[in-house]
Amino acid sequence: MKWLTKGAIILLIACLVLAAVSCGEEEEVKELRIGVIGPMQFQHGQHHWAGATLAADEINAAGGIQVGEDSYTVTLVQVDSNELVSVTDASSAAEEAITLDNVDVLMGTIRSEAALAVQEVAMDYETIFMVCGSSTVEMSNKVADDYDRYKYWFRITPVNDLYLGQLNFLLVGMVAQKIGAELMMPPKLAVMAEKAAWTESIVAAAQAYLPPQGIEVIGVWQPSDKATDVTAELTAIEDAGANMIMTALSGTVGIPYARAWEELEIPAASVGINVMAQADDFFENTGGFGNYETTLNTLARDVELTEMTLPFIDAFIEETGEMPTYNAGTYDAIYILKEAIERADSVDADDIVVELENTDYDGVAGHFVFDDNHDVTWGPGYITALGVQWQDGELVGIWPPADGSWNGVVYEGIVDYELPSWVVEYWTQ
Amino acid sequence: MAENIIINGLVLSGVYALLAIGFSLIFGVARIVNLAHTAFYMLAAYLIYSLAVTAGLNLYLSIFLAIVIVVITGMLSYRLVIARIRQHEATTLIVTIALAVILQEALLKGFGGTPRSVPKIISGSTEIFGVAVLNQQILTFGIVLLLLVATWLFLMKTRTGVAIRSTAQDREVANLMGINVPRMEMTTMAISAALAAVAGALVAPLLVLTPGMWTHPLVMVLAIVVLGGLGSLKGSLIGAFILGFAENLVIFLAPSGSYLKTSVALTIMIIVILIRPEGLFGVVFEEERG
Amino acid sequence: MNILSFYVSRSYQFLRGEILVIPSRTIALLLCLFLLFFPLISANDFILRVLILASIYAIFAASWDLLSGYTGQINFGHALFFGVAAYTAGLLNYNLDLAPWATIPIGALAAVVAGLVIGIPCLRLRGTYLAFATLAFPLILLGVVSAISSITGGERGFSGVDPLAGSRVASYYIVFPSMMVLGFIMWKIADSNTGLIFHAIREDEVTARASGINTTRYKLLAFCLSGLFAGIAGGMYVHFMKVAGPSTLELLLSFQVIIWAVFGGIATIYGPIAGVFILYPLREFLLSRYLHVPGELTMLIFACIVLIVLLFMPQGLITWLRDKTEKICPRCKLQNVATRSKCRVCTADLD
Repeated sequence: MKWLTKGAIILLIACLVLAAVSCGEEEEVKELRIGVIGPMQFQHGQHHWAGATLAADEINAAGGIQVGEDSYTVTLVQVDSNELVSVTDASSAAEEAITLDNVDVLMGTIRSEAALAVQEVAMDYETIFMVCGSSTVEMSNKVADDYDRYKYWFRITPVNDLYLGQLNFLLVGMVAQKIGAELMMPPKLAVMAEKAAWTESIVAAAQAYLPPQGIEVIGVWQPSDKATDVTAELTAIEDAGANMIMTALSGTVGIPYARAWEELEIPAASVGINVMAQADDFFENTGGFGNYETTLNTLARDVELTEMTLPFIDAFIEETGEMPTYNAGTYDAIYILKEAIERADSVDADDIVVELENTDYDGVAGHFVFDDNHDVTWGPGYITALGVQWQDGELVGIWPPADGSWNGVVYEGIVDYELPSWVVEYWTQ
Repeated sequence: MAENIIINGLVLSGVYALLAIGFSLIFGVARIVNLAHTAFYMLAAYLIYSLAVTAGLNLYLSIFLAIVIVVITGMLSYRLVIARIRQHEATTLIVTIALAVILQEALLKGFGGTPRSVPKIISGSTEIFGVAVLNQQILTFGIVLLLLVATWLFLMKTRTGVAIRSTAQDREVANLMGINVPRMEMTTMAISAALAAVAGALVAPLLVLTPGMWTHPLVMVLAIVVLGGLGSLKGSLIGAFILGFAENLVIFLAPSGSYLKTSVALTIMIIVILIRPEGLFGVVFEEERG
Repeated sequence: MNILSFYVSRSYQFLRGEILVIPSRTIALLLCLFLLFFPLISANDFILRVLILASIYAIFAASWDLLSGYTGQINFGHALFFGVAAYTAGLLNYNLDLAPWATIPIGALAAVVAGLVIGIPCLRLRGTYLAFATLAFPLILLGVVSAISSITGGERGFSGVDPLAGSRVASYYIVFPSMMVLGFIMWKIADSNTGLIFHAIREDEVTARASGINTTRYKLLAFCLSGLFAGIAGGMYVHFMKVAGPSTLELLLSFQVIIWAVFGGIATIYGPIAGVFILYPLREFLLSRYLHVPGELTMLIFACIVLIVLLFMPQGLITWLRDKTEKICPRCKLQNVATRSKCRVCTADLD
């Protein structure tokens, strides 16, 4: 038994020494510590991190952030939230980053439940938290309800779910027109929305507002966001006679959906939100299916939203080999933060918040202005988002339309939307 | 509509049946609740992905290799891990969960969390009664039927099969009759892992691969074996069809509630065991003494 | 005065005679005291947070043990109690502004009701059937939660629930002593006649019935008691996290609680508590921060540790340690240090 006691004591001492050593590692450098929090084992988190790294490297190479006489280096701390598995982990990780790693600012998160939990932790510590992933409007409502507590919160990407709903309708409208023009038939729409809080307003609005515009809604299918097979849903949609599907899918269900959609040649054009189709490796992940899949996106390879866009996309692809998703909005977040700090001439969170509210910044994803609830503003002249379509294995921009029919907004590099060949074939036979 | 439900239901139920029968076999013979069963199924799918897509091997060869590797993994985990702690019921549960988590984390480390797809064995789709059915689905259903019949023949007609069944009925008497019980259990474990691997190989092209893909089938398998009666192969088969069809009925009859398909299937399971606590074809363990 | 000195001397005697003579009890006492005064040593919010969550999960794991460890009714869906209480407490606080001291007991009562609701139908089920059937309940409820998302917030849950207390240290002094008290109560229950009957049900239900025990009633009691304690844990959790969401019902949590309990050693109450206090901080930050395991490997290594420990100590870590360091007197059934050859009370031979 003695060896056991001895062993335990030695282990205990070793732990204490290790703890002491790790605690003593702090250095005296002027630095701004930014915690990038996301599920680091997944693409979302990896893009959070890659976007942030690019921005930090650029800023540090250019001499850091200037506050008065001092220049602050940007130090990034990677915070693995494990949020797709455990929400408790996410908020613990946020608190660990704030209290043990002493981060000044947090940015990232994607899963809404986790983002809300992290929001609470960050607000407890009056730490600025810039969301680059969750769209839930619940978060900005908090700012409206209790400004003093929640003012440290800002959303960079994507636009909130109310705007996402409107964007969805714009895309649906465009495709409905195309169906009317090319197939000479009235649009009949099936809604394919994962069961989630963010899709609720979209589904409700679709049922309320689309029929008056001449778009018949024939049914709503709501699989789980992690469903691995939706062939049954798709055959049911075909059975119901739809010629259009409006999607609202953020989970992995987007992959089996798009794959079965093309493979079964469901005679309905698919348009809406499919987060999985925003990523570069979508085609590879579906095993080469999903051509013509159309989704909202933040960026598209050849579309110039501002002059920052294309250089960033090139740099990001060079770094990671992948096209940046909306999670790479951490890049814009860091620049917005930098400008706010320099305008405030202070690294005090309250001062920065005041200047963040005054943000008026041309970033990679468009023109950033925050609304009263610290949510990124959507609309012509602000962040517009894009409609993108997979055409022959390439993700190309298709909205806002090149003819400027949406409030005159025109971007370089937009091409025409194409109806899937099998849809045209099926309905013109 | 009805033909849709039938065709999609048959394919889904077939896969569930394959998984449930493998699970049921090892439970019936060795009284082991192997919660890592569907993790083997996931492992097979990922092996096919890494062999066929990443390494670029021939698809059939990859499938064969994947099944072999999974069978070996299954036998090793039985010999090295499960067999040592099997008399502690709760510990077996945790150890098999730990095995599944280890597999999940290793796959997450190796392939990341991004969903992956595996090429189909045969591509394209066919119209059956006006329903578009993937050829892979037809193949899946065909192989499932074939395997179910083969398993049944094996258990009913061969010497080993009889030995396995007698071990399932009474270990001690089987032992006294000169049956090598540990070897029978090992054989069963191999068959069980092989069934899981085949299921993985067949469904992998129909689903997407994610390191969390083992949990939903696990829940369904547990519900199926309880519904059908623990250890009863016939029960597992019928249970698989009931729940597989239940899931599809929900999708077709209540489209906006299709996310509820698992909840509905589980509720059906609960209702059935409320009426028949031993499941549809289970043996009454009522007075069984430990 | 006399009474006071009587109690002081009695507790001193108890300390000397019952605790200090057995190293494991001494260590447990020291650890409890250490944790009780921990905020004086370090008031780091994160460490306190881990300890608070560990305490909450410890109550939860012990409540699983009370049901499953003692009566052998393995509950695979223990998250049900946690989630029901978390949602009840969270919704009451969020919508009706009830204070935590009211919502937590109400949440716990809701969990008791949940215990009855699943306990009654499950009474007819035995062993593995019961385990698999209970697995279904939280998952069914998860479907309900998304179906009524206007109330529950669906997959995102809702945030902005009132905190337990104003400061972290105050929360710690609410949660940690509650854990000790509740753990002690559970241990006392397990040690009482009722606990003995629970044991009997696990060992041999038929014989228990034959001895005139209404096993049905006791099993139901076990479900309710377990639900009560798990519910308190769930209520505390929601007020501590300030967020209620579907992750409180997920399969992972149901599995997690069994891992903690079995790792520590079932049918002991203190085993699961110790299991949580070892495993939770280990996975949460010890592995990555102090043992420098890369973040993406922590879960893998965690699972390997659990696997290896259970492989060599299938009864659980704490039970194994107890059996190695202590012997039970064959005559008076009291615990003795393993090094003794005669019982400390009745001097019977120990081997």
